[in-house]
Amino acid sequence: MIDAKILSVTTFIYLAAFVLYLLRMVSSRDRWGTWGSAMALTGLSAQTAALIMRWITSYRLGIGHAPLSNLYESLIFFSWSITAVYLFFERRTRNGSLGIFVVPIAFLCMAYASLSPNIDSRIQPLIPALQSNWLVSHVVTCFLGYAAFTVAFAAGGMLLLRGFLERGDIPGGPSVAKTGEKRNDKLSSWQDISLRRRFTSLIPSPAALDELIYQSVVLGFVLLAVGIMTGSIWAHYAWGSYWSWDPKETWSLITWLVYAVMLHARYIRDWRERPMAVMAVIGFISVLITYLGVNYLPGLHAYQ
Amino acid sequence: MAKKNSLLSFLASVKLAVALLIVVAAVSILGTLIPQQDASGPFLARMNPGIASVLLILQLDDVFHSAWFAILMALLALNLIVCSLDRFPRAWRRFRQQGDPERRDVFENLPADLILAVDASPAAAAHRIETLLKKRVGSIKRRETGGQTCLFAQKGAFSHLGVFIVHAGVLIMMAGVMAGPFLGFEGHMNIPEGESSAVVALKGKRGFKNLDFAVRCDRFIMDFYDDGTPKTYRSDLTFLEQGREVQTATVLVNHPVSFGGIRFYQASYGTMPTGDPSLEVIRGDRKVMEVKIAAGKTFPLPESKALVQVLRVEDNFMDMGPAVKLNIDAPGGVVQFWVFAAIDRIAAANPGLLEQVPLFNPASFAPYVFSLTKPEIRPYTGLQAVRDPGVPVVALGAAFLMAGLYLVFFRSHRQIWIRLEARAGKTMIRIAGKSSRNQPAMDRELHNLIKAMGFDRKEAS
Repeated sequence: MIDAKILSVTTFIYLAAFVLYLLRMVSSRDRWGTWGSAMALTGLSAQTAALIMRWITSYRLGIGHAPLSNLYESLIFFSWSITAVYLFFERRTRNGSLGIFVVPIAFLCMAYASLSPNIDSRIQPLIPALQSNWLVSHVVTCFLGYAAFTVAFAAGGMLLLRGFLERGDIPGGPSVAKTGEKRNDKLSSWQDISLRRRFTSLIPSPAALDELIYQSVVLGFVLLAVGIMTGSIWAHYAWGSYWSWDPKETWSLITWLVYAVMLHARYIRDWRERPMAVMAVIGFISVLITYLGVNYLPGLHAYQ
Repeated sequence: MAKKNSLLSFLASVKLAVALLIVVAAVSILGTLIPQQDASGPFLARMNPGIASVLLILQLDDVFHSAWFAILMALLALNLIVCSLDRFPRAWRRFRQQGDPERRDVFENLPADLILAVDASPAAAAHRIETLLKKRVGSIKRRETGGQTCLFAQKGAFSHLGVFIVHAGVLIMMAGVMAGPFLGFEGHMNIPEGESSAVVALKGKRGFKNLDFAVRCDRFIMDFYDDGTPKTYRSDLTFLEQGREVQTATVLVNHPVSFGGIRFYQASYGTMPTGDPSLEVIRGDRKVMEVKIAAGKTFPLPESKALVQVLRVEDNFMDMGPAVKLNIDAPGGVVQFWVFAAIDRIAAANPGLLEQVPLFNPASFAPYVFSLTKPEIRPYTGLQAVRDPGVPVVALGAAFLMAGLYLVFFRSHRQIWIRLEARAGKTMIRIAGKSSRNQPAMDRELHNLIKAMGFDRKEAS
């Protein structure tokens, strides 16, 4: 199938974009970042085309439905959402440094979808429970929300990394103090300092990263709220109950609460930068559990 | 009073709100790690009995319906109410406050690029700016004081109330969620094709509910894709009131049907025996009687002095299908034997069985032969029946929540002050702006405004 071929090519395009973003960081030349963005945009376009083709193919097979119905398709769409939301923020902030954190996540989703032996990439017909008009709106809002949280996580990670670099605590770097040893500042050679400077010179200021975390979390928070609501409406029609404390439902609520706490702390306690970055990381872990982790939990329906 | 105030301020604190949200999140995690409700049985059985009993006492086998979870929710609701009431007056004042066009403090430390000197006369410049602001912002106030023209425009004051709309939405949703189980019910009905039922088996073995109408299943249909994946589960139903057909409807997964305020969902399907088994008594080649039977039933055998008693009725006795055990009390003595519905098949599979085991021979009381007609096996549809008056309330709360989130995150109270005065043959324009949420965006907007004014830019002296 042609769409599957395009998707596997997309995987490598995202890998290339990541390498370009990495080169931008190491060489401290923004030009590489421009190439990285162009590469990511190419990947996104190819992926969009593949998704549309897959959609059309499903109709040709007589089982037409949006390509959002199983783990393979959701991983592809998650990767698509991450790149799309990232490029949106990159355009808005005119800074391509986050790509080094975000694009590899999109790449990993694609790689996991194509390489894992447990994931079936065939177009499967929709079982009756999935035959609903709410499928598309529910899945799209949830995954765009997850993608926004992924961008917030990347910005948070970058902010924390910047903190490490500025304190000279690169894990594994030459200036890291051995346990029990007093740090010898002479060890930080000028190359080390210049490498660090090179790294930090293209990282946006903590204030800018903080703003980015805030904006992407707000976007994700609202999208997740819409996603939970569309899911509830769907559950109301499909299962006869808009909420049944199913592990996935519960974890989506937990994720929403984590970000609710984060936003309240910002408004009321004026949390900025570092605590926001830590919350963005915690929130993203919760997103991952909501998306993938619940499959391993002893759920109401999964438990034997 | 001081004590009460400190309690109130504790309840009004955002610290408590954040703490409660964290506790709710933590408890919810527990609720997903420990198998809940029906699934908890096998889990608890594998646990150490001491730990299991602790889990049961703490209601950790049904966290989300436990008393303490309800208390936690009530506390959260109380905190939300007190906290919102505490903060509302200030927000209301900010919402109602009429901006003062003559405010001076906003112009302190104004960056140079927000000060213009233009050739147009103050009146002409003011007119141009006023038209522009009217188009871009809306309501506008103008005042002349001491040779200066003061313009003031604002929009989005309503956004100060957004957070209260969000909180109101959460409270309304909580009310709807609580009201549902009290005022409504949730249950299940299995209706064989061609039969009707007016009884709902309530969820969690809480008994039965009689409907004031009956539901008849006319047909249950399953359809499959070519690869064997289920494609459709469908029930054709007829609703009956006092035996009269009122409405027919088709129920599919994802497409429930509502009747009499109750929603019916396609939930499951299967097959079940319908009707009571009946016993035929044959003498020679003549059927002497046919009788519906049930365990314990006794009836006289025609044309004899014998009395037949049904001892047992089994759906599947010794894996050989439906069977009944009879006790025949005749003047000549007592005979007991089993009558299998599928006796012909059993006898064919086990030659000589009837002769060797009289207990299984339906002709053990000569000259009579008994035969069991097994109940018919028919497909049934499993319908979920739900009435939840809380649903519209929850939906209303959700609408509030979304509207509030929109105001909080995507609207801001933006105020713009502009002062014009004539100085040295030019008109000096100073522009200041405040946003309740996003000051950088406000600054961008001010620069856009300056561009849109279209004056020839000149550095202010």
